[in-house]
Amino acid sequence: MNLLAEEAGGNRALTFGMFLAFIAVTLAVTVWASRHTRSATDFHSGGRQFSGLQNGFAIGGDYMSAASFLGISGMIALYGYDGFLYSIGFLVAWLVALLLVAELLRNSGRFTIADVLSYRMKQRPVRTAAAVSTITVSIFYLLAQMVGAGALIALLLGISPGETFLGMDAETAKIVGIIVVGLLMTVYVSFGGMKGTTWVQIINAGMLMGGAILISLMVMGMYDFNFNSLMGDAARASGEGKSFLEPGQFYGKEVAGDALQTLWNKLDLISLGLALVLGTAGLPHVLIRFYTVPEAKAARKSVNWGIGLIGTFYLMTLIMGFGAAAIVGKNAITEQNEAGNTAAPQLAESVGDYFGGSGLAAIMLAVIAAVAFATILSTVAGLTIASSSSLAHDFYNSVLRKGQASEQEEVRVAKFSALGVGIVAIVLAIFAQSLNVAFLVALAFAIAASANLPTLLLSLFWRRFNTQGAVAGIYGGLISAVSLVIFSPVFSGSEGALVTGIDINWFPLSNPGLVSIPLGLLCAVVGTLMSSERNDRKFAELQVRALTGAGAEKAAEH
Amino acid sequence: MPTELPPQSRSPEDGGEPTPDIVMHTDPRFIELKRRLLRFVFPMSIAFFVWYLTYVVMSAYARDVMATEVFGRTNLALVFGLLQFFSTFGIAILYSRYAARRLDPLASELCEELTGGGEAGSKDSGNSTEARA
Repeated sequence: MNLLAEEAGGNRALTFGMFLAFIAVTLAVTVWASRHTRSATDFHSGGRQFSGLQNGFAIGGDYMSAASFLGISGMIALYGYDGFLYSIGFLVAWLVALLLVAELLRNSGRFTIADVLSYRMKQRPVRTAAAVSTITVSIFYLLAQMVGAGALIALLLGISPGETFLGMDAETAKIVGIIVVGLLMTVYVSFGGMKGTTWVQIINAGMLMGGAILISLMVMGMYDFNFNSLMGDAARASGEGKSFLEPGQFYGKEVAGDALQTLWNKLDLISLGLALVLGTAGLPHVLIRFYTVPEAKAARKSVNWGIGLIGTFYLMTLIMGFGAAAIVGKNAITEQNEAGNTAAPQLAESVGDYFGGSGLAAIMLAVIAAVAFATILSTVAGLTIASSSSLAHDFYNSVLRKGQASEQEEVRVAKFSALGVGIVAIVLAIFAQSLNVAFLVALAFAIAASANLPTLLLSLFWRRFNTQGAVAGIYGGLISAVSLVIFSPVFSGSEGALVTGIDINWFPLSNPGLVSIPLGLLCAVVGTLMSSERNDRKFAELQVRALTGAGAEKAAEH
Repeated sequence: MPTELPPQSRSPEDGGEPTPDIVMHTDPRFIELKRRLLRFVFPMSIAFFVWYLTYVVMSAYARDVMATEVFGRTNLALVFGLLQFFSTFGIAILYSRYAARRLDPLASELCEELTGGGEAGSKDSGNSTEARA
């Protein structure tokens, strides 16, 4: 038996207390933010008053989800090296954002990525397409986080099947967890707008870094700061030996005697790698963060801070993952959660116990559970504001009202959109909670890489690009990514697939990126060349504005 | 925001007087700014992308090489992985230094010219800023 289950009762009150403390602090921030949110710029972009450092932390809190904190460290704990492949893709991806997107987007857009995509084009078709893709990506990502959140909260509170807490059994606690997360994100966004959301993310990034540094130092302390001996222990404890430290335990598996399946597995790994590295700079909730700073230089600085924080954090997932493998052990982890999501909290408890007995173990567990809870909330809040900004600014104001809606009206619609997104997300997440929706994160990255990034780059750099090309590129990338997943083994026809009973599986890769990214780009190019529309003058204007910052929106005056 | 732009740039494809932004696009200084930006970001993007893909492809197809132990339990897979981290940090630092030295001064010079007086003046004299706010 492991500590998490045994002492759950005693620890639970402490963990629960820390959750409540985090909720209290963030709600106080939301109340403050709501008093300072009046204009559309305040709501969508936090008044553009955040510094590069603040936005860098917010980027960290927004981008690093519970999936990367608990998921990657759990994956390293169970499958060794392969979890690290994820970390690398997630980090290197930021170079695309830094070199090609962040500053140009900050200079030429206002609130959403559709602002940049539609700049040179006919407004309504491009805005509609961009809004559809923004909302699809954000909702898929949100759904994956929410479904995970319910189960995680039940786990973090240590409610095992058969037990009850405040009158709830584990199943009820999951549903209550989903509802609480959904309500909180709606409140943060509806009342606090981008200011409230940003501060929640900044606080979370601080907690996440602090928690990870603490566990990593304690793990390294147990091994006299000798990483080689930590890896040696992890490899021994895993039962896999040396190969635990090598790629191939999880991704790109070699199936003996089945050369074709081996080929698909390896291509799947490359496909995932592509989607990770090209998807980040097309994720709407990440991109709109660049609008919260006063100028392009601050956007660059915030990406640099983001890269520093995210990189440091992912280096620590290596210590936490190998630490959990060595100290907690595979059996104790999978006993709690098959996917390894509790490896980090279990590790916190074990190192706490090693250094300070059961008292410190309880405190460490509660702290790390609270960090995970905060991490869930700061990511879902970012996704909610990305969806509601796009609904209000792109779809409502630009498409339905042809740009005639007043600022007050747009903000009001955005607030109601956040409520709508919250309700839809809660209902879908409860409905999907027994389904395996982990693939939705990879799908969101694939859509972002196939639909958003190519069109964004062509908008900024290709003179000939036009309305038809943008529309074809967005829908082409979106539809090819989604339909390839529907025909893939994650959807049907395999063990652990989303649906059972039908088998429409003919596309052999679980990650569509390898095909859908080139296809999205191809649609954009062919669509452009098939239309005679030219917009050379708007292109000139966009480039001048993007590169010099002329005409870029400044920070709001208060 | 095309719907909210000043009249002279509402439909720039219709011909008529080019806006200052459009004139700037063919200004030698702007062409130089664009050249400096692209000369750095395009080759660098290709470089890190190829470097990253090499790593991913090696993780899939060159597992024997990746399994080579360099010292203690540290194998080439870990070394390559860590190098991806350090190259990312390095490129971010290089770009920021390059941008501060070669891009920012020129960009703000052109921006001031277009908005008629830079940060302080842009609020009341920059018609494009005003119109888009």
